[in-house]
Amino acid sequence: MQKKTHESINNRLALVMKSGKYTLGYKTVLKSLRSSKGKLIIIANNCPPLRKSEIEYYAMLCKVGVHHYNGNNVDLGTACGKYFRVCCLSIIDPGDSDIIKSMPGDH
Amino acid sequence: MVKFLKPNKAVIVLQGRYAGKKAVIVKSFDEGTRDRPYGHCLVAGIKKYPSKVIRKDSAKKTAKKSRVKCFVKLVNYQHLMPTRYTLDVDLKDAVSADALQTKDKKVAACKATKARFEERFKTGKNRWFFTKLRF
Repeated sequence: MQKKTHESINNRLALVMKSGKYTLGYKTVLKSLRSSKGKLIIIANNCPPLRKSEIEYYAMLCKVGVHHYNGNNVDLGTACGKYFRVCCLSIIDPGDSDIIKSMPGDH
Repeated sequence: MVKFLKPNKAVIVLQGRYAGKKAVIVKSFDEGTRDRPYGHCLVAGIKKYPSKVIRKDSAKKTAKKSRVKCFVKLVNYQHLMPTRYTLDVDLKDAVSADALQTKDKKVAACKATKARFEERFKTGKNRWFFTKLRF
């Protein structure tokens, strides 16, 4: 059951990478939150707890959903199709994906 | 998706001489200006917090302990930590963007904010803003 939803997140993320706008990395995630451009934030599970709390606090001020990805930064980077680690990413424009409609209930 | 770096928002300054001090956003420049091509805002903050006032204190001592020292500064958004608190103090007429041009304008702006902050502190509201952040 968990694996199925996990795969669906990966599929949705792949679609966002292909058709939407996103930023990768802590600095740009905070920038996107400050300018209220981010629509969904995804954080890897091995993100340092202080950084995770900071992103969650900004997202709370912004009323933007945060999704805790079931995998570490290596997995999240792979899910984004990149060859580097990604600890947190912000989806600015989901493109064709329905990731924002189907994910925000999650926390 | 809600903008939160708006006037009257309480923030904590993270870098510089005033790191760790609480401030309130007076005016925000999201797009930046020609001199500062990044998002920044004009903040008015507390340089020296008022001391703890106890019931036993005489009126003279309470007056002395309730003094607040202020600063006015243009700070990059990256060097601020926004909080969920707001401070409804009308500082727009006291502090304006050109207050930082000359030294005496800056001093006048600081004096005006000092008066506003002190009267707000004396009413006992916004207690979080006037307590020192321990770190």
